[in-house]
Amino acid sequence: MKKAYDFSWQDLGDLTAGRPNLGGETSVAIYRLMQFTFKDILSKELGREKTSELFVKAGYLAGREFCRNMLSTALPFNEFIADLKLKLIDLKVGILQVEQADMERFEFILTVSEDLDCSGLPIFGETVCDYDEGFIAGVLREYTGKEFTARELDCWATGDRTCRFVVKPVER
Amino acid sequence: MSSSTHLLETLNHCLAQAMERGIGKNGLTFPISCEEFQDPSCRCFCENLEQIFGQINETYRLAEALANGQLKAEVSRSNIFAMPLKALQSSLRHLTWQTNQVAAGDLSQQVTFLGEFSESFNHMIESLRDKKSLEQRLKTITDVIGEGIYLVDTKGALLFANPEAEKLLGYGIEEMAGKIILHAIHKQVADGTLFAPEETRLLHAIANGQTYNDNDCVFTCKSGRLMPVSLACRPVVTGDSLEGAVLAFHDISEQKKYQESLHKINALLDMQASTDGLTGIYNRAKFSKLLKVEIARAARYGSAMSILMFDIDKFKDVNDTYGHQSGDKVLIEMARAIHHNIRSTEIVARWGGEEFIIIAPGCGLEQGRQLADILRLKVEQTAFSVPRKITVSFGVAVFRADDTEISLTNRADTALYRAKENGRNRVETEDSPADPV
Ligand SMILES: [Zn+2]
Repeated sequence: MKKAYDFSWQDLGDLTAGRPNLGGETSVAIYRLMQFTFKDILSKELGREKTSELFVKAGYLAGREFCRNMLSTALPFNEFIADLKLKLIDLKVGILQVEQADMERFEFILTVSEDLDCSGLPIFGETVCDYDEGFIAGVLREYTGKEFTARELDCWATGDRTCRFVVKPVER
Repeated sequence: MSSSTHLLETLNHCLAQAMERGIGKNGLTFPISCEEFQDPSCRCFCENLEQIFGQINETYRLAEALANGQLKAEVSRSNIFAMPLKALQSSLRHLTWQTNQVAAGDLSQQVTFLGEFSESFNHMIESLRDKKSLEQRLKTITDVIGEGIYLVDTKGALLFANPEAEKLLGYGIEEMAGKIILHAIHKQVADGTLFAPEETRLLHAIANGQTYNDNDCVFTCKSGRLMPVSLACRPVVTGDSLEGAVLAFHDISEQKKYQESLHKINALLDMQASTDGLTGIYNRAKFSKLLKVEIARAARYGSAMSILMFDIDKFKDVNDTYGHQSGDKVLIEMARAIHHNIRSTEIVARWGGEEFIIIAPGCGLEQGRQLADILRLKVEQTAFSVPRKITVSFGVAVFRADDTEISLTNRADTALYRAKENGRNRVETEDSPADPV
């Protein structure tokens, strides 16, 4: 059996060299095509719950790596969030907003509008942004050193216009 | 049993009414019961319409709630009309949070994708950042400046104190904020006497927006210590309205001390320049000045004045026999003896060597002679350390209207010479009595 793969940021490759003509961007539809086909196959192989769990885990890894490579953890919290918001807009991931922040308990209600994963989807009646849940928890884990859970309350796919996440530290 | 025509007519009536009167408090009421329809497609259409009516009502209520600022209002997930309002609701919740953040000093907030509102908000943030950096600069200036600075309102209540002010007077901004600072610090003069701060020119200047400077002011520190300060007060005016004043002050204790010591040094230098180093009485230079003054006075008022010049008899013998140190001692004792036996208006000085000179204001020639004789006798009776007995000879001259210091002292000198010639330990007056002046 082959050894498990360990992700590293360098594996994303040198896009200026690799895509001199096409550049670093692609279409959201293609991104979603990959994500939803993964979802299709994995859910059939492993079941819906396991698939969802794996998407959260992958998102968490992505969030930690993103924070480590794209953000400055030395910034004070407010500026860190402002920076994160700008980066997510620049990279066309989504529009991050804070609706509530309890800085003592470190509990937040965050929203992401025009989310890469779900905005414009038909109304399925359930939240679909498992990957985002993991991503948010991963970013905060990397910034604070503490584990977080992010749970999506509202989603485009449940009839909302923004994805709304409740973020809390994991009780120990 | 209802027909589709009936359904359309009823609907039309209901909608026409709504268009005319608005949706109102009770909302749109779906006018027909779906059960009335037997035809399945008609019934399905009817049910969908009823649901849409419900969603419209709900959306209307959500819009109303948002218009009233109720950002927690809820709406069912399947409501397709409410979706943009939900986006608005989300933005408004975020804006509320952002506003609170800004109020708490977080200027990293930016509003994105809200059109003109974004522009205005971000513009506001930019101005606040400018203001903050200006404030920061001012704070740095007031922090490092070596002056105590108070910002007060027109009543003198404290609004701001820089660290130097706290350091100088001991009052922190926390304990004095909003209190009339001058009641605590501006209530005494340098000797400790209390006055009513309300009556001071400083408080008057603050209340009336006037410029005020005081280089000789005293502030009372929290410890009770009185601190001499140099103070500048300038009005703070915004637009047309007087906001209060800025007081800048610094401790001038050191400066005061320096001035005092300078004063002492100058007095000492002055004394050194005017006294004889050995005997401590006036020297010849100072005597000349004093004589000039006395001559001028006598000339102006026509008053009498005598000059008594005297010399220690056989002083050379004293030096030769007992040494110069003993000679100096005799000179010192002589100066002391004479000084003790003249009046405060009379002036004695060392003329040079063993010669002394006295100004006796108000004395004519005869009075001068009498005074000289008294002094001569006193010296004769004084027991000096070595040798025991010392005598002096006096020459006396009286002021004449045309006298200069030189002519006057010369005549006294001539008389003294004669006293020596005539056997010492005696008084001689000038040759011819003075013309009356
Ligand atoms: Zn979502």
